[in-house]
Amino acid sequence: MAHAPTVLDAEGKDLRAASTELKGLLGKDAVIVKNAAHLHGLCGGLKSGGITIEGNSGDYLGVLNSGALIKVTGNSGKYVADNMTSGVVFVNGDADYGAAQYCYGGTVVVKGDAGDFTATMNKGATIVIGGDVGAEAATYMVGGDVIILGNAGENLGNYLIRGNIYIQGAWDSLGHNCTVGELDAEDVHKLGALLDEYGIAADAKAFRKITPLSDKPFYSH
Amino acid sequence: MTTVGAFCVTLNRDQCINARMPGKCATCAEVCPYGVFSLNGGNEVVVQNYNVCVGCRLCAEFCPENAIRINPAESELVSRYPWTLGTVEEIHHKALTGSYMLRGFGATGQTPHFDGIVVVPSQLASPAPRDKYREECNMEVVIGEDTCESPIRLQYPFLFPAMSYGALSKEAKLALAIAAAKTGIMTNTGEGGVVEEEPYYATGYEKAGRKRRIWEPGGYLVVQWSTGRWGVSADYLNAGDAVEVKIGQGAKPGMGGHLLGDKVTEDIAAIRGIPVGSDALSPCRYYDVLELEDIKKQVEFLRDITNYEKPILMKLGPSRPYEDVKAAALAGVDAISIDGLVGGTGCSPEVVTQGVGIPTIAVIGPAVRALKDLGLHRKVKLFALGGVRGGLDAYKAMAMGADGVGFGSAAQIAMGCRGCMACHQGNCPYGITSQNPKMRERLDPEEIGQRLANFINASAEELKILTMLSGHSDVRELSEEDLRALDVNTAAITGLKLVGYERALPWWENGHGK
Repeated sequence: MAHAPTVLDAEGKDLRAASTELKGLLGKDAVIVKNAAHLHGLCGGLKSGGITIEGNSGDYLGVLNSGALIKVTGNSGKYVADNMTSGVVFVNGDADYGAAQYCYGGTVVVKGDAGDFTATMNKGATIVIGGDVGAEAATYMVGGDVIILGNAGENLGNYLIRGNIYIQGAWDSLGHNCTVGELDAEDVHKLGALLDEYGIAADAKAFRKITPLSDKPFYSH
Repeated sequence: MTTVGAFCVTLNRDQCINARMPGKCATCAEVCPYGVFSLNGGNEVVVQNYNVCVGCRLCAEFCPENAIRINPAESELVSRYPWTLGTVEEIHHKALTGSYMLRGFGATGQTPHFDGIVVVPSQLASPAPRDKYREECNMEVVIGEDTCESPIRLQYPFLFPAMSYGALSKEAKLALAIAAAKTGIMTNTGEGGVVEEEPYYATGYEKAGRKRRIWEPGGYLVVQWSTGRWGVSADYLNAGDAVEVKIGQGAKPGMGGHLLGDKVTEDIAAIRGIPVGSDALSPCRYYDVLELEDIKKQVEFLRDITNYEKPILMKLGPSRPYEDVKAAALAGVDAISIDGLVGGTGCSPEVVTQGVGIPTIAVIGPAVRALKDLGLHRKVKLFALGGVRGGLDAYKAMAMGADGVGFGSAAQIAMGCRGCMACHQGNCPYGITSQNPKMRERLDPEEIGQRLANFINASAEELKILTMLSGHSDVRELSEEDLRALDVNTAAITGLKLVGYERALPWWENGHGK
């Protein structure tokens, strides 16, 4: 019989107190954390466990996540899932500036919109934005996939080195070193599976694909 | 105006075509418009009149065998400055390629440095000297004593600053780790991820299981958190004994790390997560920091992810030392390294390395004042970096208020480097800054680790001698009273008493800057 989730009320707690308590609870059941919007860097570096942040989160939620499943029922603060290496971070609302930067792996799903510099320096994660994304998304990305269901702002994919940007909507401008192409069968299969997994209603064939022109656009041409 | 004999003309007859086959070539004699070269009766090229050479080097440029050398008879800094050969060649490079110059190492030339300062020994009017040969001198520095569960206890007030795997070879990184272990000091991953053996080598163990320490007393590894975040994970942060947040560095403050594609091998590409042969150009700032408060949040979560055990450090470039150090201390770090103008690098635009940043002796004073104003001097430890060459420079930096110093370029030289400044090209013949297997196999980490340890031990002895002859038995007792500035400029920059005048310059006495 499934246990009821454990609840951690973070009100009035600092990061050290809340994080220590959270780590102590993770071995048992899923944990619901309430009143955590004032905590920055919560759920940092976790290797396992399931945590639901009820309401909004603070900044750097799930930083360096290494395997945990972290859900936010509201909006996330800045830099959600920063430098994640594995696991899943799921934001039901919107993500503020700089979501999913520096990620090496894992999956980040933002159901709503995401701010500027989302997925900057992505190195291998799968990052799904259900709504629109701001300017400079996927700047200096060196690996992974970024999927945008809505529109993107200026300078999308600036100095893209490796990896793919799939976008269903429009963009204000493309960054340096980008080229636009069509999806192949493998892309459609990959996107379709991902959209199904996260319950996102969209036609995988309706996306366009942005890839790098060169993987050496700086000094070493 | 023509100067007689301003240049020495050398013709290498072993290389010269005409010397081997009289009558052939003689291009130098044809192209020289001043009659430096001529042909004798046997159709052999001779240096007819070197006194008329103006140093245009046209003959050298046209010589098919590179047999001609033109050297100024006196220093070009005297005879041709600012149009020295280096400047001329740099302009030619830019004109030919449209590219600016890149190079390794730090700023060169005359800038205010430790040489403008002397140590004041003890005689009658100050506490008597201590006996270096028969008395003890405490040089230990503790970082994070009141804030961390596992503080760092440096045997000597020295560290090896951040130099990444990529900029350096794996063998050089391991030599630094072994030397840190043998001398009880810290080495630093830099921003290129961690070499597998580095964490246990630095603490004195030859194998990952850490069962038997073979390099005593064991040192420490600092892992760096930087703007490119190459190879960074929660496990990486916990692999070291401290985490350093890099804001900047002396050789290129305001720019991120440069690792050119020639040095990005399969191993380095795998650690950094970039394509083989692709340039790794770190961002100049943190994409995940919009305001100063975010840095404070980063320090807090780095403490959390490392279970509040490890010290958190910060490295600054030489910009506005008082304000920057104050901001770093308020962010909650345990130690701050501040780099000066002469600080080195594996690769940087020449114009940045040479012309950007504040000299090391000018950053120490404001940095110390910032910590004193916050009541944090000696609590938040301060390390001075940038052109520190041994125990004498270390003494001067520490008497100015630093808790310790870092040896970066000096460590490379201790490994065998001759300072050719071509680190960025990846062909280092000593295997220090090369990823070429042929070069790397010339560097044996244990042998070179011992050289580094020798250098650290010798520098520590120098520091001990100087500390004790100036009447102290603990490096923490050193003060500005133990120093004098040799010239007005140094006195003006540092606030130290001027030799002969025996006081600080008037504006310092009036409280300016203190």
